[in-house]
This record gives sequence, structure tokens and C-alpha cells, in this order.
Amino acid sequence: MNRPLRVDLDMFEGPLDLLLFLIKRDELNIYDIPISKITRDFLAFVELAKELQLHSAGDFVLMAATLMKIKARMLLPIEAEHDEEIEDPRTELMNMLLEYKRYKEAAHALEGMERQERPHYYRLPPPWVPGEEETTAILEDVKLYDIMLTFQYLIKNYEDPASHMVDIEEVSMSEQAGYLMTLLQTQDKIQFSSLIHQFESRLVLVVTFLALLDMLRSRQVRIKQSQLFDDLLISRGKEFGTH
Amino acid sequence: MELTDLKKIVEALLMASPIPLTETRFKMCMKDEAELTLGLEEIIESLQADYDDSGRAFTIKKVAGGYQLVTRADFEIYVKGLFTKTGKLRLSQAALETLAIVSYRQPVTRNEIEAIRGVNSDSSIRTLLDRKLLEIRGRDDGPGRALLYRTSTEFLQYFGLDSVKDLPKLKEVEDLLSEDQQELV
Repeated sequence: MNRPLRVDLDMFEGPLDLLLFLIKRDELNIYDIPISKITRDFLAFVELAKELQLHSAGDFVLMAATLMKIKARMLLPIEAEHDEEIEDPRTELMNMLLEYKRYKEAAHALEGMERQERPHYYRLPPPWVPGEEETTAILEDVKLYDIMLTFQYLIKNYEDPASHMVDIEEVSMSEQAGYLMTLLQTQDKIQFSSLIHQFESRLVLVVTFLALLDMLRSRQVRIKQSQLFDDLLISRGKEFGTH
Repeated sequence: MELTDLKKIVEALLMASPIPLTETRFKMCMKDEAELTLGLEEIIESLQADYDDSGRAFTIKKVAGGYQLVTRADFEIYVKGLFTKTGKLRLSQAALETLAIVSYRQPVTRNEIEAIRGVNSDSSIRTLLDRKLLEIRGRDDGPGRALLYRTSTEFLQYFGLDSVKDLPKLKEVEDLLSEDQQELV
């Protein structure tokens, strides 16, 4: 009996999802998977996926190889030594499926909660009002990810004036850290945007940014931001000058 | 201070705050401790009763360890008109699976997420970071020092949870077993 694979490719999140589907569709026992049958059905799907150049086809091919390996091991005669317990070659796959199934169900529960919350609207954070930096509301916890995003945003419009010159630039993180330290000895606050235009190339800028992140990590500086993509305000940290 | 006055203060704070109002923040706003004759929870309860009696369009929700005003579900069809461009986007299945794994196992690395899902989860993680439902919580001590992810306050808000402890319990394998057997019958 060969049931045609009438399935929508976008339906599946990956090979485990497809396997769970096949198990459910054919009412198979997850604790005693008929490996030959499931391998055959799975391969038929992978062939289809390859034709359509599904971007995650690699994950499916890998699973197909795993299935065939299990199938081969099950065909081999078992030579048990003494009382040694023989592990079912399907055990690992079964555990993966069970684990994935638990989270798939949890995802389903989250979806229900999302649906329940959708009709409720919260107040939104107030829009950023441009003004003096002293009066700018400061976010209490700037996340590293925010800083990275901001950096990307700030340098997007930075034109590299030296891009047509072939020159080896000598710039090091410690040099740039030293430069920031010197600035901070005389200034309480530095706006990151004001630094951008001082540097002769994007490379120097990136190295300076890395130096800044390193100083942030060792608490030599603090970074504040009033809103995502807003300017980064650099000031002296707890450990300033101890290194 | 009388309950009537305290209620007005709390109402003003709820009205102005874009993030959940916590007990700590409330005390900070009150300044004079002597005036705090009642706890925030009691005041909120009484305020909520007023809203229920007078039939307001909003209600107080306990979320992410604090309280926040939200519009009632009945007004969704009107309120969503304010957000026609962006709307409220729903999360994809991939994003939901990724969130489910992080929320129960946090902090986790990308590798752990991918080991369970069996597929590359880069783009789901990036979407969730962009939507601020996930955040980076340092690095793993293991080889490679992979980034660790956890859920954010926005995650709790998005799913209407007071804390991650309020998530439904993950089904144990035994539950699954009995369920599967029922399905087979």
C-alpha cells in the first residue's frame, strides 16, 4: 500500500516535524517505529524537497542518512556478549522525537496565549523627544544587542574617505582604548556620534568600537542610551583608570 | 492617606507608565513612607472594582511582576485601527518553537535550541531578538563561549504572564505515552 505523499512542504519546521507527522498520519507507535516504512516515506519527501530546492533540504538529507543508518543496524545480526544489554538502534531517535514533541506542544500553548493577548493593547513607550543631553531620559539597561544595532545604524551613513587608497593602517585596540581614556579624563560624557567623524576610515572606527566594548566589559566605561538607535553616551565607569 | 487618594495616585501612575508598575517603583514615587497605609495590591484591587462597576474600556493587568492598563478585548476592532501599518504581527511556528525552548530551558545557547528542533534556528532567534522577546544573557563557559539567550520582560507582556513560573508545565514523557496510546485506540 503506497499512499501518495500529499503534503505541503511549508507545513514542516524540519525533519523531526515531518517524522512526527508521518507517525501521526499512519498511526505509528513512537516507541516502536517501523523503521523501513518511515525511511521509505521520508526519502520520498526528501526527493521532493530537493527538486523544489527547499532551503533546509540539508537538514532533511542528514536525517535521511540517520534513518538509513538505523535501518542498516537493525538488519545486522545481533551478537550479544554475555548479559550485555543491547540498545535498540532507534532509542536515540525516539528520544529526540519525544523531546521535540514536548516543545512543539509548548509552542502550541504559547500560540494560544498569544491569541488570548492579541486583543489587549498596552500603552506604548513615549516617542523620543530631541533635546539637551542632560534632559534626555536615560534607559536604565542598555543591552549589548542594542549597542551593536546602534553601531550598525550609526556607521551606515559613514562614507569611508580612504576607500580608494591602498594603505596599511596601523591601528590597535589598546591604542584606541588609550585615546578614549584620554578623552574621558577631561570630559564627563562623550557622544559616540561625535567620534565617528574624527576617524579617517571605517577600520579605525570599528577598532575603536571594539575597544569601547572591551572597556565596557571591564567596567572602565558606562554606556547610556535614551532609545534604540539613539546616540550612545559614554562616561567613566566604576573601574575607570584601574588598568 | 485615605484609600480614595491612594487610588488616584496609583491611577495616575498607571496612566503615565509605559512599563508595568511594580511595588518598588510605586514606593519610590510615593516618597513619604508614612502615607503608605495600604499595599499596592489592595489599592489595585479596589481600583479594578471601580473600573468594573463603572464599565471602563480598560482594565488592570498583572504582568511581568507589575501592573499595567490594557484596553478591553471588546474594543480590539477599533483600537487596531491605530496600528494599521504595522498591526500586531503573529509569531511564526518556527519562532514559537524557539521561544518555547528558551522559555523552559533558559539560559540556552543556539546549539541547544537547534539540537532540539533539528533545524537551523538563526533567523528565528534574530527575529525574536529584534522583537525584544528574547535577550542575550552573557556567554556560556563551555568551548566557543556561545551566547546565552533568555526571555525578556516584553516576552511576559506579550503572553500576558506575571513570571515565567506561570508558564504551563511541560508535558512529561509519561503523559505523552498515555496520550499516544489513547490516540491509537
